[in-house]
Amino acid sequence: MSSSNESIGAVPNLTDLGEKVQMPLQRFLSDYRESSVAVVSVFVVITIAIIAVFAPLLAPTDPYDLAVVTVADKTLAPGVIMSSGQTAYLGTDGSGRDLLSGIFYGLRISLGVGIGSGVIALTIGVFVGLIAAYFGGRIDSLIMRLVDIQLSFPAILIALVLLVTLGKGVDKTLIALIVVQWAYYARTVRGSALVERGKEYIESAHCLALSKRRILMNHLFPNVVAPIIVVGTMQTAHAIALEATLSFLGLGMEQTEPSLGSLIANGFDYIHSGHYWITIFPGVALLVTIVSINLVGDRLRDVLNPRLQR
Amino acid sequence: MTVFIIRRLMQAGVVVLLMSFLVFSGVFLVGDPVDILISDEADEEDRERAIAGLGLDKPFHMQYLLFLRGALRGDLGESFIFEEPALLLIVERMPATMELALFALLIAVVIGIPLGMFAGFRPESITAKTIMSGSILGFSLPSFWVGIMMMVLFAVHLGWLPSTGRGPTTEWFGIEVSFTSWKGISYLLMPAINLSLFKLALVIRLARAGTREVVHQDYIKFARAKGLSGRRIVLVHVLKNIMIPVVTVLGLEFGGLVAFSIVTETVFAWPGMGKLLIDSIGMLDRPVIVAYLMIIVFLFVIINLVVDILYSILDPRVRLGEIRS
Repeated sequence: MSSSNESIGAVPNLTDLGEKVQMPLQRFLSDYRESSVAVVSVFVVITIAIIAVFAPLLAPTDPYDLAVVTVADKTLAPGVIMSSGQTAYLGTDGSGRDLLSGIFYGLRISLGVGIGSGVIALTIGVFVGLIAAYFGGRIDSLIMRLVDIQLSFPAILIALVLLVTLGKGVDKTLIALIVVQWAYYARTVRGSALVERGKEYIESAHCLALSKRRILMNHLFPNVVAPIIVVGTMQTAHAIALEATLSFLGLGMEQTEPSLGSLIANGFDYIHSGHYWITIFPGVALLVTIVSINLVGDRLRDVLNPRLQR
Repeated sequence: MTVFIIRRLMQAGVVVLLMSFLVFSGVFLVGDPVDILISDEADEEDRERAIAGLGLDKPFHMQYLLFLRGALRGDLGESFIFEEPALLLIVERMPATMELALFALLIAVVIGIPLGMFAGFRPESITAKTIMSGSILGFSLPSFWVGIMMMVLFAVHLGWLPSTGRGPTTEWFGIEVSFTSWKGISYLLMPAINLSLFKLALVIRLARAGTREVVHQDYIKFARAKGLSGRRIVLVHVLKNIMIPVVTVLGLEFGGLVAFSIVTETVFAWPGMGKLLIDSIGMLDRPVIVAYLMIIVFLFVIINLVVDILYSILDPRVRLGEIRS
């Protein structure tokens, strides 16, 4: 609250316009802060992102350095010292790799694929959705028919078909996740853009004979950003979960580039022999990632929803 | 009405044809099954005979047309591995998957509706808030992860339930079922709960939203004013009215359950068609992959078609809007 008082104090002759320009971000932040769970989730997400980005610096060992990893270290319990002299805080997996380091590197791949596919799918979806809403008519019905058909099949089935066709690997999983996700963005954007298109500012932009490109990008697009942010957050969590599922089924990542899903799948072979940690710890990392992103998304939806604005 | 149904049927036909092309051409590109199926010692002549035997010597479009011609007669090709018709292989495993999916649906409805209704009646109570947070988890957790955790807890750690496989089956109207004995149910319980979690969360949400809307309606006020017992109001007046959206959505989601059973069946080694698909992918058994995907596409198209037609009967605006446009 004090920050908003200061800004009003700093600009005494604040006009109505000035207030509207400045307020949304502050109101957004103070609304968001009301939920402590959501604030904690943001910090968790940031921490996970930092771990993912700096995994090579933070991880105690390089789990894929074949000079260090030996099979002699396989399935060590958490806290046991490896033959390299380092402590395996979370134990080691079936090939003798330090699990903590494996999780750090796995987060990197899981988050990278989840966010990367989300950003590309978002770009495609926004573009297609805006075009559908703005031009309407035949283009609109063609695009939306395609979106409807795709969304009538579960995401996992479409991703499965694509990966069966394309094979394993980071790039292929990325493609599968993009194809699965773009339709959600397209539908969301089209929905909000249709509402916005009927408003007077678009009409006045038409009257000013602005170019279609300019109306689309400078007028329509900024007004559909809020729902995109919400859908984007939720979709990122979905994409990470979907990638983990596909890798678990043996269709996503190669074993040389294990994501959290592949780590869990590796550990799954050991749960009956009592080496629970190989599955549980990557599982916990996956859980924390997905749940915290979802909680952030949930809060964003409440805060950015104009119908709930106080 | 007839025009609407004919249009929808044609559309469904186009979707099936389109998907058959996508699936067939997609799977056609997958690795070369010849390398796996024919031993290295085979000479060139043997190889060629085997390739011709599998029909792989013909150009792509011929293979596709032959596949379509077969598909129209209910023949989706023969498995490379089992040397049996692919359709038969899948149909043999269908009862296991259907049993799993129906049980999951049952669990979702039987547990989800009371929980959702409770959360709708007392939205501010702590129990209701716990239920709703639980349903967020049900939506966001990957089902294979929950399955593994359930397995670690109930099968490996506590030893209460068997961890993998299907229990003893008995024949019931010619279909193999496993829920007729306690042993069979003990095998069925964990996979079914695992598969149901997502739908359970969905049912809770729908039931809660429905209840919150219905309790403010005049007919509920009237029923109260008439002096009906709380029990009767809840079980008859509220329940009946919230069932409409629940039944619609569950009907639509049934195909999703069958598709998602791929994951559950892999975790719990449940011998259904989803596990067959994953095994076939591993062995590059193209005809089985194509046949499975075609059956699923067909299932989805049929479900969507039926729902569309039912909707148009119930709500004439749907079909009128379409015909005009």
